[in-house]
Amino acid sequence: MKKKLVSVLMCAAMTAALLSGCGGSKDTPAESQSANEPAAETETKTETESNEEAASGGKTYAMITKAAGNPYNEKEAEGFKEVIEANGGTVIIQHPEAATADAQVSVIQSLISQGVDSICVAANDTNALQAALEEAMDAGIKVSSFDSSTNPASRMTFANQAGTQEIGQALMDAVYDISGGSGQWAIVSATSQATNQNAWIEAMKEIMESDSKYAELELVSVEYGDDVPEKSTTVTQALLTNYPDLKVICAPTTVGIAAAAKVLQDQGSSCKLTGLGLPSEMAAYIGDGDDFSCPYMFLWNPIDVGRLSAYISMALVNGDITGAAGETFTAGDMGSYTIVEAADGGTEVILGPPFKFDPSNIAEWKDIY
Amino acid sequence: MAGKSGRTINATPENVWKKQIFSWEGILVIIFIAVIILCKILSPNYTFTNVLREMPKYLSEIFLLFPMAYILLLGEIDISVGSIVCLSATAGCLVSNAGVPFGGVVIVILLTGTICGAINGAILVKFPELPSMIVTLGTQIVFRGIAEIVLGSGGSVSLSNTDGFRMIAKKAGPFPYVFFLVIISAVIFTVISVKMKFGRSLYAIGSNRQTAFYSGIRVKKVIFTAYTVMGLFAGIAALFLTSALYGANTTTGKGFEMDAIAMAVFGGIATTGGKGRLVGGVISAFIIICLRIGLGQINMNSQLILVIIGILLICAVLLPNITGNMKLKKKAN
Repeated sequence: MKKKLVSVLMCAAMTAALLSGCGGSKDTPAESQSANEPAAETETKTETESNEEAASGGKTYAMITKAAGNPYNEKEAEGFKEVIEANGGTVIIQHPEAATADAQVSVIQSLISQGVDSICVAANDTNALQAALEEAMDAGIKVSSFDSSTNPASRMTFANQAGTQEIGQALMDAVYDISGGSGQWAIVSATSQATNQNAWIEAMKEIMESDSKYAELELVSVEYGDDVPEKSTTVTQALLTNYPDLKVICAPTTVGIAAAAKVLQDQGSSCKLTGLGLPSEMAAYIGDGDDFSCPYMFLWNPIDVGRLSAYISMALVNGDITGAAGETFTAGDMGSYTIVEAADGGTEVILGPPFKFDPSNIAEWKDIY
Repeated sequence: MAGKSGRTINATPENVWKKQIFSWEGILVIIFIAVIILCKILSPNYTFTNVLREMPKYLSEIFLLFPMAYILLLGEIDISVGSIVCLSATAGCLVSNAGVPFGGVVIVILLTGTICGAINGAILVKFPELPSMIVTLGTQIVFRGIAEIVLGSGGSVSLSNTDGFRMIAKKAGPFPYVFFLVIISAVIFTVISVKMKFGRSLYAIGSNRQTAFYSGIRVKKVIFTAYTVMGLFAGIAALFLTSALYGANTTTGKGFEMDAIAMAVFGGIATTGGKGRLVGGVISAFIIICLRIGLGQINMNSQLILVIIGILLICAVLLPNITGNMKLKKKAN
C-alpha cells in the first residue's frame, strides 16, 4: 500500500510541476497581449485616418521559421514582430522542433486550432506542407511564405528576399571576378532539399552555360553542409583536399559561408570565398589581400524580409490584396510593392536586389545584424 | 508456462509484475485524465474536434509502437524503423509518380517495409550473437542511405497524383480513418500479447531466452516474425505519413524510432524484456500526443515541449525503480 501511495504522490508532484511550468509560459503571451492592447488603442486614436493600421488591431499573425537557432530566421522574425506589433496585431512566432517539414505540419495544425488570421512560413520542403496549408486556407487563414517558398498551391503569395535570377547573376559575377575569369570553383550549400538553395544553384548553372564569358570556369562540385557548422567545415576541408587547384568556393548559405571562411582563413588557403552571409558573422573574414578569405559577399536585410512579410500578411488579412499578380500594396515606410508572377507559377513580392558587403562597408553593418 | 525441465518461469516474476504494472497502468490513466484537464484549462481551443483534427500526424507514429512493444518485450530493440518509414514512403512516391494505380502504391509501400523488417529479422536470427541495437543501427544508416541515393540531389519527391492519398486522409465525422485503424490494431496486438501463444512466447523469451528455448518455444521464428511485423507497420506508418506530406524526403520519419520506444517505455514496457503490457504503451502514447497538441496550442516553445516529455520519460523509468528499491530495503530490514 505504501508503495502505491508513494507512486501516487510522485505523480501528483509531477503533474503539479507540469502545471506550474505551463502556467508560467501561459502568462507570457497573455501579458504581452495585454501590453499590446493599450498600444493598439493609442495608435487607433492618433492615426484614425489610417484605415489599414486600425484594422490590424486584434488580429493574430503567426510566423513559422525553419527551426530554432537559425540566426537569419530570427532576424526575419524580429522585423515581422516589430511591424505587426506597431500596428496593434498579436504576433505568434513558432520555431518547429526540428528543421523538417513534419515538424512544421504539427505547428500549422496547432495554429489552425487556435484560429489565427494569417500564417507565413519559411518552408523546409516545397511540397510537403501542401495538405496542412490547404487546410489552413480552407479554414479562412491567409497563408503566405517567406525566405524559402512553398509550392504555388499552398500559398497566396511569397515574400522573396531577392529574385532568383538576380542572386544567381550576382554570385556568378562574383565567382567570375574573384577567380579572374577561369579555373575551378565549387559550391557549399545547405541541405539538398532546400528550395531556395536549389533555385539559386540552378540559376547559377544556367547563367554559366548561357554566356561564353564563363566558359573557362569549371564547377567541380556541389557539397551540402546541411546548415550545420561541423558538417560544413568537413565538406569544405574535403573540397580543398580533393581539388588542390580550387580557386573559389561559393556558399549561398549563412551557416556554410561562416564555416568555410574559417577553414580557408585558418589554412591560409589561396582559395577564396564568396556567397551569402551575415555581416556580423563574416566581419572577421572580409577584407582585401591574402590574410582574409572573403573579398566580398552578398545578402539582403533579413529584418526587411520579415517586415515585408508582415505587411503582406496584413494586406492579405485586411483584404487589400488576394495574392494575384498585378496587385499593389503599401509596405509602410518601405514604399509600394507590386505582386508579380513567380517562376514556379505562383506569385511573389520581390524585396530588391541583393546587397554587397565589402571591406568598405562591413564595419558599419556588422553591428546591425 | 513451466517448461519440460520443471522450472517455473512465470510463478514468481508474474506476481511482482502484476502488482507493479497494474498500479502503473492505473497511474497512467490518472495522468491521461490530468493531462486532458490541464490542456483544457490552458487552451480554449483544446476541443474534441480540434484535437482529433491535429491527431493524424501523430497517429502514424502509434503504428510503430505496437510491434516496437513486442520487440522490447523480447529484450531486443529496433532503431531502424524511422529509416524504414523513409524508404517505404520514398518507394511509394516514386511508383505513384511512375503511374502505378493507388492500390499498387499501397502494396509497394507495405512490401518495402515488410522486406526491410524481414532483413533485420533475418540478420538477427542468423547471427544471434550480434546485439540488435548495433544491427539495426547499421540498417538504419543503410535504409536511409538507399532512400537518399534514390532521391538524389533534390532530396525530396512529391506526389504528382495525390487522389488516393487524399482519400485515406479523409474523416468519418470528426474521426479520421486512421484513428479507427489505430484502435483496431491496438486491440489485435493487445489480444495477441495476452491471449495467444505467440504473445506469451514474447514474454517467455524476454524473461529468459535459454529457458524459453528449452521449453520448446521457437525463439528464432518469434524474433523473425516480430521484426517482419515491425517492418510491415513501418510501411503502414509511411502510408499515412505520405498522405499528410504528399511526398517523401530525406528527413521523413527521422526520430520516429525514438518516439515509439519512448511511448512504450513510458507505458511501463521494460527495455530489458519480459515486462510490461501493451495497454500501458497505448495509454502513454495518447498521453504524449494529447500533451503535445495541448502545449502546441498555447504556443509553448517546441524545444521546451521536448524537454517536458523527456523529463516525464525519466520519471516513468525511475518510478518503478525507486519504489522497487524501497521495497527491497524494507525486506532487508
